[in-house]
Amino acid sequence: MNNRRFIISAAISAGLLAAATLGVHQADAHHAFAAEFDGQSPVLLHGKVTKIEWINPHAWIHLNVVAADAKEQEWMVEAGPPNTLLRAGIDRNSLKLGTEIVVRGYQSKDKVCIPVCKANGRDMTFADGRKLFMGSSGTGAPKDGADPNEKK
Amino acid sequence: MEHFLTWLQHSLGKGAGDTAQSWSEALLESLNFWELLEGTHLLGLVLFVGTILVVDLRLLGVIFRRTKVSVISDTILPLTVFGFVFVVATGVGLVFAKPLLYYHSIWFRLKMILLALALLNILVFHSRIQKSQGAWDAEPVPPGKVRAAAAISLLGWFAVITCGRFIAYDWFECGKPQPSFINTVEACKASEQGAYTLEGKRL
Repeated sequence: MNNRRFIISAAISAGLLAAATLGVHQADAHHAFAAEFDGQSPVLLHGKVTKIEWINPHAWIHLNVVAADAKEQEWMVEAGPPNTLLRAGIDRNSLKLGTEIVVRGYQSKDKVCIPVCKANGRDMTFADGRKLFMGSSGTGAPKDGADPNEKK
Repeated sequence: MEHFLTWLQHSLGKGAGDTAQSWSEALLESLNFWELLEGTHLLGLVLFVGTILVVDLRLLGVIFRRTKVSVISDTILPLTVFGFVFVVATGVGLVFAKPLLYYHSIWFRLKMILLALALLNILVFHSRIQKSQGAWDAEPVPPGKVRAAAAISLLGWFAVITCGRFIAYDWFECGKPQPSFINTVEACKASEQGAYTLEGKRL
C-alpha cells in the first residue's frame, strides 16, 4: 500500500517536472508582458515628454506624439521601476517636460486609446543620439535586442 | 471614503514647497523601499499559505495520516501566524502607496472579500468544528465538516493569491471603456480617472 502511493506520487512529480522542463521556454511568452501588451504591434513614437510618473512598480512616461499627418496623440509608455531606470542611466531629471525623445516599444493589446494610447517601452533615444534601455528584463517582452542584460 | 483616501494619497505628510510630496507619494516613488515591501509580501505569503497548505492537507486526510492533527497544527500554525503578520504589514504598506487605485480595483475588492471569508472560515473552525477534535485527532481521515473547512481554506487562500496577482493588470482599470457593471462595481465615477461606457463615452 505504501509502495503504491510512493510510486504514484513519484510518477506524478516526474510528469510535472517533465512538463515544466518542456514548457519553461513557453513560459517566457506567457509572462507579465503578454497580459497587457501586444508583441506583434511594435511602435516608434517621436514626441515631447508631457508628464512623468516616476513611480513603482512601473514608471510611466507621457508623450505628445505628432504623426506625419500632423495629428497629435497622447501616449503613455510603461518603463521599468525607478530603481531599474536609475541603473540604466535615467533619473527623474533626465526627462524634463518638453524633452524630445524617440521611444521604441509595443502597443497595448487594448488599442482603443481611451484615455490615451498605451505602450510598453523598450528603449528611448534622446535628441543627442543617446540610447537607453527603459524597460524591464524578464517580463516576457519580445527578444528585440533592446535589453542589454538579456542573455543571447 | 473617496475623500479620505484622496487626502491619504495626496496630502498626509506633505510639507511646504514646490517639490513637497505626501508620504504616500514618497513611498510610491521610492528607490528601493517599495520593492522591499512587495518582495516581503510575496515571501510572507509563501510562508503563510505554504504552512496552511500542509495543515489543510492533513485535515483533508491526504498527508501525514499517521500523525495526530494536533501535532501537525501545534508545530506549524505558529509559523503561519508569523507569516501572516508580515503579509498584513507589508500589504497595508503597499496599499498606502496608492490607496485610490486599490480602492477602485475590482481585483483588490474581490481579494478583500475572499480574505474576509477565509478568515471567517478559520474563526468557524477554531470556535466550532475544533471542539470535537479529541474524537478525530488521531484519525487518518477526519470527519466531513473538518474536511469541508480545509477545502474552503485551500480554495479561499489560492483565490486570494490569484486576485492579488491580477491587481497588477489594467484590464478593468477605471478610465477604460468597459461594461457599466464593472464601472458600478468599481465605483469608477468617483475615481480620478472617471468612468467610460463600453462605447467610450465619458460618464
